[in-house]
Amino acid sequence: MTRRELALIFGAGALAGTAQGRMWSRSVQPGVVGLAEARAALGKPLGPETARLAMAGALAASVGAESGVEAAAAMFSPKDIVGIKVNCLAGKFLSPRVELVEALVDLLAEAGVDRRRIIVFERSNRELQRAGFTIREAGPPYRCIGTNNDYDREPSISGAIGSCFARMVSTTCSALVSFGVVKDHDLSGVSAGMKNWYGVIHNPNKYHDNGCDPYIADVARYPYIRNKLRLTVLDGVIAQCHGGPAFRRGGIFELGMVAASTDPVAADLWAWREIESERARRGLPTLEAAGRPVRFLATAAKAGLGIDDPEKLLLVTA
Amino acid sequence: MSIDRRKLIVLGTAGAVATLHPPLLRVAAAAQRGSSAAGDELPAREASWYKKLEEGRVECELCPQACKVADMERGMCGVRENRGGTYYTLVHSLACSIHTDPIEKKPLFHVLPGEKAFSFSTAGCNVECKFCQNWEISQFRPEQVQAYNLPPERLVAAARRNGARLTAATYGEPVVFWEYVRDVAIAANAVGVRPTVVSNGFIKEKALREVLPLLSAIKVDLKSFRDEFYREQVRGELEPVLKSLEIIKEIGVWLEIVVLLIPTLNDSAAEVRDLCAWVKAKLGPNVPVHFTRFHPTYRLTDLPPTPVASLERAWKIGRNAGLNYVYLGNVPGHPGENTTCPGCGEILIRRVGYRILSNRLFNGSCPDCKRKIPGVWS
Repeated sequence: MTRRELALIFGAGALAGTAQGRMWSRSVQPGVVGLAEARAALGKPLGPETARLAMAGALAASVGAESGVEAAAAMFSPKDIVGIKVNCLAGKFLSPRVELVEALVDLLAEAGVDRRRIIVFERSNRELQRAGFTIREAGPPYRCIGTNNDYDREPSISGAIGSCFARMVSTTCSALVSFGVVKDHDLSGVSAGMKNWYGVIHNPNKYHDNGCDPYIADVARYPYIRNKLRLTVLDGVIAQCHGGPAFRRGGIFELGMVAASTDPVAADLWAWREIESERARRGLPTLEAAGRPVRFLATAAKAGLGIDDPEKLLLVTA
Repeated sequence: MSIDRRKLIVLGTAGAVATLHPPLLRVAAAAQRGSSAAGDELPAREASWYKKLEEGRVECELCPQACKVADMERGMCGVRENRGGTYYTLVHSLACSIHTDPIEKKPLFHVLPGEKAFSFSTAGCNVECKFCQNWEISQFRPEQVQAYNLPPERLVAAARRNGARLTAATYGEPVVFWEYVRDVAIAANAVGVRPTVVSNGFIKEKALREVLPLLSAIKVDLKSFRDEFYREQVRGELEPVLKSLEIIKEIGVWLEIVVLLIPTLNDSAAEVRDLCAWVKAKLGPNVPVHFTRFHPTYRLTDLPPTPVASLERAWKIGRNAGLNYVYLGNVPGHPGENTTCPGCGEILIRRVGYRILSNRLFNGSCPDCKRKIPGVWS
């Protein structure tokens, strides 16, 4: 399906009232994942134009907007402090590309969010730097910092987890973006947008048994995340179908896609599907057969976080 | 000045270090300036108990969690990391909490009464008790707490300077820093300081057997006698802990057991009876069992403190079961803190909290009926 077809389905008026971003919740599209092509070889950057086109295309496609800026305005308010959580665990070759993240920052800025109110963050400065980001405590052109162990003083309880959340998500930011990659994980099966939120709790090591289930959903459904999450973006230019979560050269493949969705479960469902496709192409067993079934998506869907039914997954190309 | 509780703990321990010796003070000050931000590379030593798996993964063989850990990931304890197929401990010699306590605080009531124990801990734990009293260090990763580089020899030297005849690996969970425990014990034994451990006993047999002979005493928290409790409240298992207790008994290291009684969760008469019967049958009547009072904390804040009546009921059950040394804890001034001779019934050691009011033991025996009282008395 194309973006224009999606706009027809949702109605032209769906986004009309959101141009200033005040009605962002009206733009939530369960099950819809916007996709745009973006191709580059491992270790090679995307050109700025390519990155911009891909980011804007995926964003617009995810909500049926005319442009990436319009989509951003539908999701974020100029009053927001927007936190973009990037997953940099796997280092330079398998972290969100700087050029894609900066393309998103540009779209947010053009949609009216002050650049000083846009914070790209990860657990530590070191992880950001290893992935190619430059630490910018105060900007410009945007802030880029590690949370560096600045956690709430008391644990928050959510289902099976009891964790101190990074103050970046509990206190500082009013709106959040999960910016992950498409990769295999040796315990949860898939690490894309939802597992990225393990990076905002102080004790992720406690919650890796049973395929990280129900813990991934329990983190994501805590109000700090659930009430603030506006967008999930997945850098699938280079993806990894085996050997994750660390970078493993033998497991990577050129997927050549960027995905965006207001539905975090649907975004991960798409990532899962792509990983399974590549594994099948290589003759590898399914993730379930490999002993790491992706359980957390069903739990997340039951918690009302999004759509995990493949029949209801709606992929919209830019 | 804004400060959180974790930093307060560290400042408190830094103060404790400061009173010990100027060089340690400098270590503490340097550690604080450095701040253990996640961006800093933690010192790492190859772990002693693990095996390599295919594709760069490892399996930890230290505790029954038996974590299978991929490259760049850590085990459940949060202090052991796979780096390129080699498993490392990140906390050897990285003490985040240091203090000189009376040995009664551990509690080890039958070990050198009234003596000081130089107590230390690192970050991390291999379980997650919802009622953890030390969660601000045990449930954090090493880069999330401030810590001091305190190698075993320097730790033991500090203990001696401070007049401590014992060391105690405690506060957090020594199992997760077992290599450090081992090396401190070796250094302590070399100079006549007695090493002790306060643990959950959730450890694999091989690792336990390798270190036990180095220890003078160990206190184990038997958190419940029901596996369901272990799984739901602790995220561990009962059976490996019972196995550890039997191994400790077999090796002959002095053992005391603490049971934290939590209202409605593990304080039923039936469970206490089962526990006491097992201790007597498997470990013998002379292993001290301490029933201690729970206070709401961490994730278990919706329950009241344990009623004293529940503790007294457990005390009575233990004695009726034939256990010779049953104590009550966290109830200062209660007669259940005293050591009584099982032969003649006279009070041998009178305690209030962690203080010894009187000690009538003579050469480890009751001065009245001459009965030998088991323990480490000299």
